Amino acid sequence: MVENRPWADLVSHLILLVGVVIVVFPVYVAFVASTSDMATIANGQLSLVPGPNFLHNYAQVLFHGTESSTKQPMIVPLMNSLVMALGIAIGKIFISLLSAFAIIYFRFPFRLTAFWVIFITLMLPVEVRIYPTYKIVSDLHMLDSYAGLIIPLIASATATLLFRQFFMTVPDELLEASKIDGAGPLKFFKDTLLPLSVTPIAAMFVIQFIYGWNQYLWPILITTRDNMQTIVIGIQKILLVTDALTEWQAAMATTILAMLPPVIIVVAMQRLFVRGLVETEK
Amino acid sequence: MAEVHLDRVGKVYADDVRAVRDISFAVPDRGFCVLVGPSGCGKSTLLRMIAGLETISEGEVKIGGRVVNRVEPMDRDIAMVFQNYALYPHMSVYDNMAYGLRNRKTPDEEIKQRIAEAARLLQLEPFLSRKPRALSGGQRQRVAMGRAIVRQPQVFLFDEPLSNLDAKLRGQMRVEIKALQRRLGVTSIYVTHDQLEAMTLADMLVVMNVGKVEQIGDPLHLYEAPATLFVAQFIGAPPMNIIELAPGAMPSGIGGLEALPMPPAGAHLGIRAEHLALATNGGVPPGGIRLDLAVDAVEAVGAETYVHGRLSGSGRAITCREPGKVMIPAGTTRAFTAVRRDLHLFDLKTGQRLPLA
Repeated sequence: MVENRPWADLVSHLILLVGVVIVVFPVYVAFVASTSDMATIANGQLSLVPGPNFLHNYAQVLFHGTESSTKQPMIVPLMNSLVMALGIAIGKIFISLLSAFAIIYFRFPFRLTAFWVIFITLMLPVEVRIYPTYKIVSDLHMLDSYAGLIIPLIASATATLLFRQFFMTVPDELLEASKIDGAGPLKFFKDTLLPLSVTPIAAMFVIQFIYGWNQYLWPILITTRDNMQTIVIGIQKILLVTDALTEWQAAMATTILAMLPPVIIVVAMQRLFVRGLVETEK
Repeated sequence: MAEVHLDRVGKVYADDVRAVRDISFAVPDRGFCVLVGPSGCGKSTLLRMIAGLETISEGEVKIGGRVVNRVEPMDRDIAMVFQNYALYPHMSVYDNMAYGLRNRKTPDEEIKQRIAEAARLLQLEPFLSRKPRALSGGQRQRVAMGRAIVRQPQVFLFDEPLSNLDAKLRGQMRVEIKALQRRLGVTSIYVTHDQLEAMTLADMLVVMNVGKVEQIGDPLHLYEAPATLFVAQFIGAPPMNIIELAPGAMPSGIGGLEALPMPPAGAHLGIRAEHLALATNGGVPPGGIRLDLAVDAVEAVGAETYVHGRLSGSGRAITCREPGKVMIPAGTTRAFTAVRRDLHLFDLKTGQRLPLA
């Protein structure tokens, strides 16, 4: 819009500001709580100014854990979540790129069948196939391991579909020019298709990283040892106390810590992410 | 030594559709062969079979004496220029040209030198580090040609390379391509649907229609003596005027038909627009014909004038091209004559050219 209408500008800015406040305020309260001491929160006297215990609280949850509930340094589940989210994002992208490449550029028997089978998995998220998947993972002795956390969540159709759609928009002439330039299929994939797919790969990475980071049901099912648990479970366990005060400042500090990696990923990849969803580099 | 030889080449697709049938011709070394025809005539399919992008279902293709039916595109020693350029968008102009050479393990020194040479030839030197996105259509076209040139192939294949350019640039690039081909002396096969491009570029013109060859030859020969009705109407602008002469249904408004060797089954009479001259007297030239036209419109373009009219009586649309400026009010009837050597007769059924002594 190039029109100059001060009232309309003011109103739209007000609406946006209200929206921002609605989103940010709870996060801010969580941050304030994470810097206060237990007694202040328990008394219900939480102010709107950050308290004095920022360093103490964060160091406490990261390296020592809570006093009463888990008593575990939160750095461990944070690392577990990071491994799991990265594993899911990278694994999904790797497998999806290859399968989309096969579906679009190769003619093999039952190509369409393969595509539809992949497509059907869209309707079968972990929650639906949870018992058989658990059985398989446990039979393969993958309980309480990174493999067990990551592999069952890698197989899904979303990324394959996205890359298939993207590859279909790559002009055939590029493939033909590559053939004449003496590039075999894998060389074409590496030299031409991958560099062209940077933006959809980035978009997929952001989406899948957050998906992996937010997993709750699957990790809670297959991990029993404390040192294999993920951060989302970690937060939940902090709140489980008997005969003691809930350590809200620790819970809030952990929450803030748990929020950071996805936020960093989104901010860092924002430009690529948006470009990947709205346009293609051709 | 890079003759391209096609022997009874055909293409049958899986669903039994025949795109190309029984095509044989030979492009001599250093020759410039243009395949021309309306869209869907199989000319691109034929080119892609020569390139190795389509399998050859029937017949044999030889490049430089070697049968290449089962040879991969990269080993056929060809280079191709595509309609939409097919430049790698993520690579610089330099890398676009170097890619094929690197895949062939050409030493870096030589790649550098060949690209420098091609860039000089095509005036691409200022753009070598740019991405194709930052270039204009004509420059992209040049890069695509540069990519072909640096390969130093035995054969250049062009697939409608100018159809994405505007008319002015197209004319300019046409001249450049022709000069470049002369200079490099590389056998070339060029596909186009534009008969003007075909006429101006070709040493050897192959006119195709529904998967078959209609006529092969020197462009001017094809213009002057089209072998079929299709070629007559396809080559030349405006297209040749065709008048159907069916037995028992002779159109009125034509004089001199009795002097033509008319086959009993009837024929098509063809006359090019520039061969119809505004009659100065009422007679019919000996052996020739005379058309009475109701003039619809007159287009003066300076050096010449197009007269659009209809045969009085039958209403058949006829276009005449007169030199200089000619003033004829629309709605009047005028006589136009053509001499015998400018007349063409084609069989009414088969469209084959009939002798007209």
